[in-house]
Amino acid sequence: MKGEKLWKEFLDTDESGKPAAPKLPVYGISRRSFLSALGYSAVGLSLLNCRVPEQKIVPNLAKSPEQTPGVANWYASTCSGCSAGCGTLVKVRDGRPIKIEGNPAHPVSKGGLCAVAHSLVFSLYDSERLKQPLIGGQPSDWTEVDRQVGAKLASIKQSRGKVRFLSNTIISPTSKALIDNFLGTYEDARHIVYEPVSTAAISAAHLETHGVGSIPGYKIQNAKLLVSFDADFLGTWISPVRFTKDYSAARDLKNGQRSMLRHIQYEARMSVTGANADTRFTTSSAEQNEALTFLLTALVEKSGQSKSVNYNLLPPSGISPQMTQHLETTADELLNHRGESLVICGSNDPDVQLVVNFINETLGNYGTTIDVNSPSPHTQNSDGTFAGLIEEMKNGEVAALFLLNVNPAYDCYAAKEFTEALKKVPLKVSFDPTLDETALSADFVCPNHHSLEAWDDAETDSGIYSFNQPTIAPLFQTRAYQESLMRWSGDVRSFYDVLRQTWQQTNFTKQTKFSKFDDFWDQSLHDGIFADQTVKEPVTRTFNDKGLNDALLRLNKTEQSDYSLVLYQKTSMRDGRFANSPWLQELPDPITKTSWGNYASISPGAAEKLSLTEGDVVSVKKNNSAIELPVLIQPGQSDDVVAVALGYGRTHAGKAGNGVGANAFPFVEFLNGTFRYQAANIDIAATGKRSELAKTQIEESSHGRPLAQNIALSQYVSGDHPIKQTEFEKLFAEHDYPEHKWGMVVDLSACTGCNSCVLSCQAENNIPVVGKQEVAKMRDMHWLRVDRYIDSNPDGTEVTFQPLPCMQCENASCEMVCPVLATVHSSEGLNMQVYNRCVGTRYCANNCAYKVRHFNWFDYPRDDKLANMALNPDVTVRTRGVMEKCTFCVQRIEEKKIQARNEGRPIKDGEIQTACQQSCPADAIIFGDLKDLNSMVNANKKSGRNYILLEDLNTKPAVSYLAKVRNRKESKEDH
Amino acid sequence: MNLRTLKIISILVTVIGAIVIWQNGIFRQFGDQSGYEPIQPINFSHKIHAGDNKINCTFCHSSADESAVAGVPTATNCMNCHSQVLKDSPEILKIKAALDNNQPIEWVKVNDVPDHVVFNHSRHVTAGVNCNTCHGPVETMARVSQFSTFTMGSCIDCHRRHQGVVLDAGGNPQFAAENTPNRLNAPTDCAACHH
Repeated sequence: MKGEKLWKEFLDTDESGKPAAPKLPVYGISRRSFLSALGYSAVGLSLLNCRVPEQKIVPNLAKSPEQTPGVANWYASTCSGCSAGCGTLVKVRDGRPIKIEGNPAHPVSKGGLCAVAHSLVFSLYDSERLKQPLIGGQPSDWTEVDRQVGAKLASIKQSRGKVRFLSNTIISPTSKALIDNFLGTYEDARHIVYEPVSTAAISAAHLETHGVGSIPGYKIQNAKLLVSFDADFLGTWISPVRFTKDYSAARDLKNGQRSMLRHIQYEARMSVTGANADTRFTTSSAEQNEALTFLLTALVEKSGQSKSVNYNLLPPSGISPQMTQHLETTADELLNHRGESLVICGSNDPDVQLVVNFINETLGNYGTTIDVNSPSPHTQNSDGTFAGLIEEMKNGEVAALFLLNVNPAYDCYAAKEFTEALKKVPLKVSFDPTLDETALSADFVCPNHHSLEAWDDAETDSGIYSFNQPTIAPLFQTRAYQESLMRWSGDVRSFYDVLRQTWQQTNFTKQTKFSKFDDFWDQSLHDGIFADQTVKEPVTRTFNDKGLNDALLRLNKTEQSDYSLVLYQKTSMRDGRFANSPWLQELPDPITKTSWGNYASISPGAAEKLSLTEGDVVSVKKNNSAIELPVLIQPGQSDDVVAVALGYGRTHAGKAGNGVGANAFPFVEFLNGTFRYQAANIDIAATGKRSELAKTQIEESSHGRPLAQNIALSQYVSGDHPIKQTEFEKLFAEHDYPEHKWGMVVDLSACTGCNSCVLSCQAENNIPVVGKQEVAKMRDMHWLRVDRYIDSNPDGTEVTFQPLPCMQCENASCEMVCPVLATVHSSEGLNMQVYNRCVGTRYCANNCAYKVRHFNWFDYPRDDKLANMALNPDVTVRTRGVMEKCTFCVQRIEEKKIQARNEGRPIKDGEIQTACQQSCPADAIIFGDLKDLNSMVNANKKSGRNYILLEDLNTKPAVSYLAKVRNRKESKEDH
Repeated sequence: MNLRTLKIISILVTVIGAIVIWQNGIFRQFGDQSGYEPIQPINFSHKIHAGDNKINCTFCHSSADESAVAGVPTATNCMNCHSQVLKDSPEILKIKAALDNNQPIEWVKVNDVPDHVVFNHSRHVTAGVNCNTCHGPVETMARVSQFSTFTMGSCIDCHRRHQGVVLDAGGNPQFAAENTPNRLNAPTDCAACHH
């Protein structure tokens, strides 16, 4: 075949006709052929791998009778976050605890929980926990520890050395008895209770006046008027969840009530409690103590008792004329509510608390709103004995020191002194589960179980016994501290046996319902609590006023200072014990909306005077202590106060907690037998540096717009208020909801802004933590946020909180703009977000009027396999480039819907509870079916306070709000 | 060989190749894994158990009617019978070894859906859906293979057929008036499976 030759053959002839030597082509790889080869091989390889990854199913070897794969079990237990001992229900899914919720049957917390409780799941799966005991910092095993500690203890017993057991408040009667038993075998042994943030002054004052050295039971529910001086009882003071439950019950207007508890707050800094008060007065630091003595004077004089009391009342010196006027009015109000008022104070000065006791006695509140006969078991610490311990240690007298759940090397007023003194103790045994600042210098670290792995009991209120039961087998080679103590005193039983035995001997005999102990035990364990019903004879206690005169004299010597430092706890970080929880670190403070670290809060007035702007780093100094912190400008705070949160600046907390913020504990002073959280005469100076604050809300004010609406109680009662709902023209086709239409009502009057709901949501919905830099860029991922608006009115600063989940609009602006139908409306009224459809255009977030959508800018770290155990398997973990938002806990809706359908019945009202609703200590969130005409949510939507946020946009949200009602006093404050 | 012949040959190769690939199930809808038949650690035969001996599915997959997952039997469940029956078979000895060594058996998952999909067995079983509807004739399979495609389309198709119906004796949907007992309304909302 002739034709054009398209290629050369190997064996072509040359010009002479001979076969040419083969001209081998040059096999250099051109760029083009390389790329095409690369492309082909990539396609080929990906085709080869085009199959699902092999997944394994690993069933248990033997079936546990109470466990069904895929079905969660709930176990009643007790929260170990602080000494309040709230009742919890732990959700255990396939053997893993994944969520903690409140136990509604528990008489103390009544189903509420705070933010700290939610974070306990995270601390269980903390890979920085100790995995075995340490001897001299080196990993060891329990036999070796028992041998060495046993030998040392035996020699101490022989030499009659001093043994000291330092712990935080232990509310478990069984464990307390066990420690006492252990210590009882030594000649000179003592159990010293230490709390870094102490309320010991209250116990000290009651010892003086009533002969009962403990914190009395405060009965907010019996009060009509509550006056608080600097006590942050809704935030962190003593038992905040319990107080919030009682407080919101006493102020509840949801069921048609027309009256509510009135709350007046006098405080120097702006606290969560102050933000909720009906009337709030800002006191300067100089006024704080004298305001109380003045109130006492006014009360005594007005009630005509001045002749019958044996102490000298001194005229006020440092109080401003306006403040005297306010205090006079408060005194009048208090006298109108004798026996149904309550005055509390957050100071840790026994003299101040003595004055408070006297005020309550004058008002006849003992026996009605304060119960000294049923003292609360919280905070049994004594600051003086702890200070004495440091002295003993310094003198080299202490032969053995046991440390349980305490970290004085970080949080003590004299941390350096303590660490130095610790070196002089020959045997130091720490039970800390992590290698914290104090455990570092211990000879033996015998890691205790996490509370979710341990048995224990708790007396959470006088006569109320609560259980702590393990919900998972210990993850590491840890041992209950009780068992360690038992081993060292030759007892080989398990602590579980001891607990059972104790209950058989004590609580079993206090009841008549069960004749067999096993039945009693099972029932108590199931309920989580046992309430001792035996009626105790009330002891009449006489009021002893002998100490008051001296106290008043001491209080009159208040020093004047330019700036005073006020140390406080944040609702999330508390005393820094759980600083390694990124959930708590990222949870914004309710008032300042700032996460990740502490700051020096100063008033706008002080900022102007010192010419500081927000983010300027200042140094705060007193004596030998100095810290550098960024400034935060806080309206509503006294001009002479610098407020700094405790619990930050940990050095050995772990990856998340180390080096976040600065440690303010060195400013704590030890005076007159107690720790003081206020330091006068501090120096504050700009350093010229700047540091960015990680704020989640940068707008302070609502600028007069009706966002979080406030009305007065009188307006609510008369119906003469601006809260209304408007019917708009129907622009869009109505949706059809055949079976359900889920809706929510948030009662702003109940909400205290504590942020517990935010963490509950985070735990339930696998919401990632993004870190400080990302939060500062407003890329926080919390599906539910609590907005707070600080508005000025003639009476001062008014703060209102507004929880903001996804509004689940009927005319949803997000749904209209999604180009890929990744967000669509469901037949039950939900704006569904379909992650696997989302391509991340972020149009929806731009178009959302409520700004509730959150975008995954990155694949947030999920590489800690242990931490991943806390993930909820019912909720998808989102990846980078995907939009996400509140789903109304659709996994819970589906679970209950399936359950109801399987049982062939309709869903009951209140059966479905969203995560935020369940944990709310104030019962501010009501969720339900709007198609069910008898539902709670419908009843509340019809109440006169119901309004819709940004109603004029006609988005028709399924979430509506009940306006905040403040029980203001009309005569002076309403103009 | 001219250009025309080359064209014909290449078309033929393409068409025959496509048929061959399609027949072998290599080319199929994304996510469709039907026919997947992995080798299991223990040579367990559903044909002998469910087919020949007519053991009910829920005897072993005991949580199918109460949980989202049907459940794979525990080793002790196997030994309930096999401590007597065929106790010297090498396959049974593997189970016995697992129990003795406290080492759980790692079965290979056959029927799987992506992580962003939630499926609940209990709702389907209680609604009257037969196991075979999705899992095919398991009682004839010596080694289990995936029967359905388990793509979203296959789920949605079935859900759409079960709107406002009741199931008759044969498990087929029959239209039913509102308020009929056991009336099914299989949801087609995204959030029913994606959350």
